[in-house]
Amino acid sequence: MVKKTCKSSLVLLMILFFVSSCKETSEPIIVTTKDFHTSVDKVMEVMVHDIFSPPVASRVFVYPNIAAYEIIAQKDTLYHSLKKQIKHLKEIPKADPQKLVNYPLAALIAHINLSKQLIFSEDKIEKHRDSLYSVWEAKNPREFKDSKEYGLAVSTFITSWMGADNYAQTRTMSKFRVNSENESRWQPTPPSYMDGLEPHWDKMRPFVLDSAAQFKPIPPPEFSMDKSSIFYKELKEVYDISNRISQKGDQSEEIAIAQFWDCNPYVTVTRGHLMFAVKKITPGAHWIGITKIASKKSGADFNKTIFAYTKTSIAIADAFISCWDEKYRSNLVRPETLIKTYFDDEWKPILQTPPFPEYTSGHSVASGAASTVLTSIFGNNFYFDDDTELTFGLPIRSFASFEAAADEATISRMYGGIHFRSSVEIGLDQGKKIGKLVTENLIMAHE
Amino acid sequence: MTNNKYIILCLAVLFISCDNDLLFKTTSSKVTGLAFSNTISESDELNILDYLYYYNGGGVALGDINNDGMLDIFLSGNQVKNKLFINKGNLNFEEITQKAGVEGNSSWNTGAVMGDVNGDGLLDIYVCAVVGINGFYGHNELYINNGDETFTESAQKYKLDFGSYSSSAAFLDYDLDGDLDIYLLNHAIHTQESFGKVDLRNKRNDQTGDKLLRNDGGTFSDVSETAGIFGGINGYGLAVTVSDFNQDGYPDMYVGNDFHEDDYYYINNGDGTFTNQLKKYFGHTSRFSMGNDAADINHDGLPDIISLDMLAEDEDVLKRSQGDENIQIQKMKIEKYGYHYQYSRNMLYINQQNSGYLETALLSGIAATDWSWSGLFADYNQDGEQDLFISNGIPKRPNDLDYINFVSSDQIQKKINNTKLVDQKALQMMPSGKAQNYIFKGSKNLTFEDKSSTWLDDEKGISGAIAIGDLDNDGDMDLVANNINEEVSVYVNQTDENASYLQLEFKYPKPNTFGIGTKVYAYYQGTLQYKELYTVRGFQASSEPMVHFGFGDISKIDSLKIIWPNKTEQVINDIALNQRLVVSPEDTKPFKYTSLVSKTRALFKKVDDNLGINFTHEEDNYIDFNRQKLIPYQVSDRGPATAIGDLNNDGKKDVYFGGSKFESSRIFMQTDSMFVEREIKALAKDNRNEDVVALIADFDNDAKNDLIIGTGGADFYNKSTPLLDTYYTQIDTGFIKQELPKYFENASVIKENDYDSDGDLDVFIGNNVVSNDFGKIPNSYILKNESGKFSILRNQPFQNIGMITDAIWEDYDADGFTDLILVGEWMSPKFFKNTNGSFIEEKLTDSKLNGLWQQIIPFDIDKDGDTDYLLGNWGTNTKFKASKDYPLKMYYADFDGNGSTETIVCNYKNGDYYPVLGLNELASQIVSLKKKFTTYKSFAGKPIEDIFEKSVLQNAIVLEVHTLASGYLKNENNIFEFIPFKNELQVSPISTFLKYDFNGDENQEVLAAGNYFGIIPFHGRFDSFPGALIYNETHIDLGNTIGLDFSQKAIKDLNIITLKGASYLLTTSNNNSAQVYKLIK
Repeated sequence: MVKKTCKSSLVLLMILFFVSSCKETSEPIIVTTKDFHTSVDKVMEVMVHDIFSPPVASRVFVYPNIAAYEIIAQKDTLYHSLKKQIKHLKEIPKADPQKLVNYPLAALIAHINLSKQLIFSEDKIEKHRDSLYSVWEAKNPREFKDSKEYGLAVSTFITSWMGADNYAQTRTMSKFRVNSENESRWQPTPPSYMDGLEPHWDKMRPFVLDSAAQFKPIPPPEFSMDKSSIFYKELKEVYDISNRISQKGDQSEEIAIAQFWDCNPYVTVTRGHLMFAVKKITPGAHWIGITKIASKKSGADFNKTIFAYTKTSIAIADAFISCWDEKYRSNLVRPETLIKTYFDDEWKPILQTPPFPEYTSGHSVASGAASTVLTSIFGNNFYFDDDTELTFGLPIRSFASFEAAADEATISRMYGGIHFRSSVEIGLDQGKKIGKLVTENLIMAHE
Repeated sequence: MTNNKYIILCLAVLFISCDNDLLFKTTSSKVTGLAFSNTISESDELNILDYLYYYNGGGVALGDINNDGMLDIFLSGNQVKNKLFINKGNLNFEEITQKAGVEGNSSWNTGAVMGDVNGDGLLDIYVCAVVGINGFYGHNELYINNGDETFTESAQKYKLDFGSYSSSAAFLDYDLDGDLDIYLLNHAIHTQESFGKVDLRNKRNDQTGDKLLRNDGGTFSDVSETAGIFGGINGYGLAVTVSDFNQDGYPDMYVGNDFHEDDYYYINNGDGTFTNQLKKYFGHTSRFSMGNDAADINHDGLPDIISLDMLAEDEDVLKRSQGDENIQIQKMKIEKYGYHYQYSRNMLYINQQNSGYLETALLSGIAATDWSWSGLFADYNQDGEQDLFISNGIPKRPNDLDYINFVSSDQIQKKINNTKLVDQKALQMMPSGKAQNYIFKGSKNLTFEDKSSTWLDDEKGISGAIAIGDLDNDGDMDLVANNINEEVSVYVNQTDENASYLQLEFKYPKPNTFGIGTKVYAYYQGTLQYKELYTVRGFQASSEPMVHFGFGDISKIDSLKIIWPNKTEQVINDIALNQRLVVSPEDTKPFKYTSLVSKTRALFKKVDDNLGINFTHEEDNYIDFNRQKLIPYQVSDRGPATAIGDLNNDGKKDVYFGGSKFESSRIFMQTDSMFVEREIKALAKDNRNEDVVALIADFDNDAKNDLIIGTGGADFYNKSTPLLDTYYTQIDTGFIKQELPKYFENASVIKENDYDSDGDLDVFIGNNVVSNDFGKIPNSYILKNESGKFSILRNQPFQNIGMITDAIWEDYDADGFTDLILVGEWMSPKFFKNTNGSFIEEKLTDSKLNGLWQQIIPFDIDKDGDTDYLLGNWGTNTKFKASKDYPLKMYYADFDGNGSTETIVCNYKNGDYYPVLGLNELASQIVSLKKKFTTYKSFAGKPIEDIFEKSVLQNAIVLEVHTLASGYLKNENNIFEFIPFKNELQVSPISTFLKYDFNGDENQEVLAAGNYFGIIPFHGRFDSFPGALIYNETHIDLGNTIGLDFSQKAIKDLNIITLKGASYLLTTSNNNSAQVYKLIK
C-alpha cells in the first residue's frame, strides 16, 4: 500500500517536472473551493428555474458530486473511493499518466458536465461553463484539455452507471391513481390539485440502503375521526396550531420558521386571471446550502468540500427513496383535505400543501439524514448562520448545531399546516437512521 | 393625369372584382364620425394582475333613441367616458353625449344595454359598472330617455343603482305580467384558490351573485331568492341569453359562468320561479364560458345555443396556451365537489326541446375561435341560414405557458405583492392576443363554413362586445364592435339587394312596447325559420329591437305566424319581402304551446320496474391514461357483456351480464311474470375477469345452452389468466368450465356460425388491443368446434388482422358458405370469402376506408333488395380530423427507447401533421422532449417531423383513419360504396345496432346507440347522442323523439327480450344501469 502510493507520487512528480520544463510559459490552472461552490449554486439556480420535485432534485445533486469525489479520491489519499461501497459503482477510469491532468479541475468539469445533463435548461449551465472554459484555456491550454478530457471521461462513466438507477423507467410508469372513495387516502390539494409526484420513487436504486424499505417506519396512527383517537387528536393539533399562529399574525416566530423551511419547489399563486408558481429550492437543496455554509465556515479545502457535499447528498438521496417508499405505501391524506371537510371549509394552511401523500414528512427525513452526516463531518455544536433563503427574501436564521436546525425544519411542517406530529417525529427518526447508516457504512475520509 | 386616372379606375375594378366575396366592409370613423375607442391604460395600480376582468372591455347598445327611423349607437368605456352617437343617415353619426347627459359617473363601466324600462315607447339605457374593488366607485346607471335626445340618470329611483361587480343585464318579462324585468349578471373577482363545493352558489353574496329584478312598475325588487336564482361567491357570470328554450311560453335563461362554476340553465316554471336544469339537458358545457347566444339554426322551431370559450385554432397559439385539466382533477371536481363536465372550447347545443341538447361544436366547425368574447347569430348573407359572427382577441394572453413559467421563476426574489416592478415585467412578458374576428356561414346540416378571410376585411384587433342592426336601412344586418385600445369597428353589410329579407318591428301594448319575447315563425317552400325577439345577446351588449329574416332568392313566403308574449297568435299571409314590417297585435287568438311539442309517435316507453332486471354495471376505476398517457382513447371500458338465452333449460330466455374486473357476472332468469336474479355458482367464481362480450348457444349439441365469455379490460397484461376467454357447458346440475385454446388477448366480439357445415357451431373471436402496448395489432381467431371442444383454426388470415371491434357471419356472395366481415379501429371493413371452410380476403370497398369502426350490421337501407351494411364509427364531432387525402395518423414506436412503446396521434392542418397533444402531455411520457424544447414557444407550431428525428419517425409504424363518420356500405352488385349518415348521427361514436320491427309495420328497422366517455378532458365527452331509429336512407328518427332516453349514457348493447308475448328493448350501458323499454306497437 505504502509502496504503491510512493510509486504514483513519483510518476506524478516526473510528470510535473516534465510539464514545467517544457511549458514554462503557461501558468498552472488553480481551481478554488469557491469555484466549486459557485458551480453548485449555478446548478441550484437552474433547478429552481426548471422545477424539480424534491426526490428528483436529490438525484440531480448526488451524481455530479459523486463524479467529482471519485476524481479527487484518485489523487488525494485522504479520501477513499466509493467503488463497491455504493450500489454497482465500479472503479472510474484512470487518467492517462502521460497527460497533464489537474484533478480538481477535472472534478469540477465532471461536476458541471453531469449537472448539465441532469437539468433541462442546458443553455444556462453552458453559459457558465463556457466562461470558465475560456479562462482556463487561456491560462494553460494543455492542462485544460487534458483535465477536460479526463473529467468528461469520468462523467461518461458515471452517466452509464447512473443510467441503470431506474430513473428512465420510472418516468413512464403509471401515474398515481387517486382513491377518492376512501377518505383516509391522499387526495390532490388546492390550489392546483396536482397529481401525486413520483409515485414510483421507491423503485429507484438506492446508494447505501439495502432497499427502499430498509428503514420502513411504523405505520401512521390509524385513520379515525373519533375524537378520542390519536389520528383525530393530531389532526386537531394541526388545526389548533394554525389558528393560534394566525392569531399571532405574520410576524410570529412560528410563521417565520414555517416559511424559512418551506422549500416547496412549486408554490402555486393565483393572481388576477391566472395561476402561476413561485419557485423555490427543495428541502434537499436547503441542506446542500447548509453544507456549503459549514464548509466555508470550517475553512474546508477543495477536497473536503467535495467530500462533504458528496456524503450529504448521498444521505439525502437515500432519504428521499426511503421516504417516498413510505409515502405511497401509507398513502395518507393531508391535514388540509380533512380540515376543510370537518372543521372549516375556508381553511388554508400557512404553507401550500405539496402534491404527495403525507406520511412521512419528506423534509423531516431529509433533515434527519443530512444533519446526522453533517455532524459526523463538522462535529457537534457547530454553530452557523443559515442564509440559504436570503435570495428568496427570507432572513438569516442561526443554529447551535445541525441537529437543532433539523429539529426546527421538522417542527416547521406542523407550523406550516401540512404535516401531522407523527409524520414529522417518525420522519426525523427515519432520517437519522439513514444518516447513521451512511456515516457508519461509507468509508470515505481517513480521519 | 388621364393615365393615372385610368390606372386608378383599373385598380378599382380589380379591387371590386377581387373583393366580390366581401360581406362586411369595415368603415373608418373618419367616414362615420364614430370616434370612440375603449382605451385602457395599464398602470402599476391597475392591470390584469389586479383585476382579472381587466380586459373584458366595454359594452355596445343599438337602438333608435330619438324615433327618427335610424339606428343610434351607445358605447360604454371601461375608463373612458361613454358616448352616444345619433345616426344622421348614410352612415354618418353625430356625437351627442354631453347634451344627452350619458357620459357616466362610474369609474369602471362594463355592459351597456337598451330597453324601454318605463314603458313609454322610448329606449332607455342601462350601463353596468364594477364598484368596490381597486378603488372603483359609482353604480350601475339607468338613463331614462326624455324623448328629446336627453336622458335623466334615474338608477336610484328605480332601485337599479347597484354598486356590485356587474357584467351586464338582460331584459325579459319572466312573469308575463307585461312589463320588462331584469336579470343582472355579476361576476366574482377572486381567482379560484380551491374549488369549494357547488353549494357555494346557494349562499347569496351581494357583490358577486346574479340578481333577478322584478319590475313592480316604477321600481324593481330583488326576487332572486324566491325565484330560485343562484347568487354565490363562485358565480363568474359573463353572459346570459334569454329564450323560451322549451317552448312553453315562459322565457328561460342560459347563464355562462367563467372558471369552474357551472353554467346555469334556468327553466322558467311559470309560477315566478326558475329551476336550474343544466345537468339534465347538457352532458357538458364550455369551461371558461364567455359570450352566448340563441337562435334556431336547423329549422325545427327550437332555439339552439352557442357558448364561447377560448380554445385557439392556430397551432402556435394552441400549443403555447394552457389547455384542459387532467382527468383526475376533473374527476375530483365532479365527484367530490359536485361540478359538471366542462371543457375549454366553444359549445353548440342543438335543442331537442324536452330532452338533452346535442352538442355539435366540433362537427359544426366552430369549436375553436381563440379568445372569444361574443357570438351573434344572424342571417348575415340572407341565404335563409343562420350565420355566426364571433368577436375575439385579448391585449395580453395570461394563459401563455411560457409566461406562466416566467412569472413562476425569475421573480422569486421579490414578493409579488410588494413590488409593482414585477407586474410591469410580467405584463411585458405576456404575448399579445390580437386576433381577427371570425365569421361563419351557416348551412342546412349543422355545419358552418369559416368565411373570415373572405367575408371580412378587418385587421387583427381586440373586439369584445358586438351588436347588430340595420344601420343604413338597406335591409341587411350591420354590426358594431367595441374594441379595446382601438376605434369602434362598424361592419357594413354588403348583401344589399342580392338576397331577400324581411324585417319585423313590433308595436306592443305598454309597458313592453317593443314586444320583447315575441316569436315569429316564417314558412316558405316547406321550410321553417323561427326567431324570437330578445335584444340582449352575445356579451355586454344589446342589438336592435327588430327581427330579421333572410330568404335567399325566394320572392314570396307562405305565411308568418307571430306569437305574442301574452300567448296569443296571429297569422299573416301575403307578405311582400324586402321591407320593414311594423306589426301590432291584431285578430289574435289564444295560442296553445302544447301544439309545439313534437308529433312523432313514441315507440318506446320506459318500464318502471325494469321487469326485475336491476343491473347496474360498475366499471372499475382503472384509468388507462395513467399507464399509457398518450393513447387516443381508453380500452378498459368496453364492457359489460350482455347475452340473452335460456340458461336453465326452461324454454325461457334469460339475461347474462358480465362483470367488470373483480365484479361477478349477474344472471337474471325469466320467470312467468318477470326476471329474477339467480346465481350460477360456476360462473360467479371467476370474478377477476372483465367480461366484455358473451355468447349463449348450444355448442356441444346436447340441447342445453352453453356460454362463452370474451374477457379483456386491458389492465391485465402478458400471460395473465384473466385475459383467457372462458367457456362453460351446461349439464343437468349447472355449468362446468371447459378448456379453450390458450391465447391471452383482450376480446371484443364473439360470433357463432357453422362455417364448415359440420353441424356444430364454430365461433369467431375478435380481439381489440394488446394491453400496455396500444397500437400493436392483436391476433383474432376462428375456433373450430369438434364435439363441443374448440381448437384454433390454423392458417387463416386473422393473425394481426387489426384492432377488431365487431364481426358478422354473412354469405354476402350467396355461394352457400357463410363469409365473415370484420370491422375494427384503425382499419377498413374487411370481407373474407369462405370457400369450403377456408377464408380469403376480398377487396370490396374503397381502399381508403380506415375508420375507428365500432359495429356493423346487415340491413337493406336503400330498399333495393340486396344487403347493405350499417357501420358505427367514432363520429365527426371530435378534435380528430380524417379524410382520404389527409388521414388521421397514429405513430406507434418506442420513441424514447426505454423498451415500452408510445403512440402519437397527429392531425393534418394547413399542409402539415401536428401532434394532437401538447408538450406537457407528450413530455409526460417522452421525457427527452422537455430537454429538446425548453420553452413552449420553441415547440408550438412545429409539425411532427420537426419534433422527432427522421430516423425515429421512419421506424415508427403509422396507423391511419380515413373517415370518422358513421354510415353505411351501399351494395351495388357486391361493390360497396360508403355513404355517411347525416350529422345528427355523427355527434358520438355509434357502438351498437339492433335490427327489429320496432313499430310493428312488418318491416325491420335498425336502432343505433352509442356515446363514449373514455377520452381525456382535452377531447371532451361524447354524451349527447340520443340514439336513432333508421328506417331507410332518408327516414331517420332521433331516439328522444320516439321515447328513448340515451343521452349521457355510454350504451354498449341493445337486445330484444320477450316476456309474456310482449317485446321489450333492453339497453346495457358502461358504468350505468341497464334499462328496459316496452315497445308500443
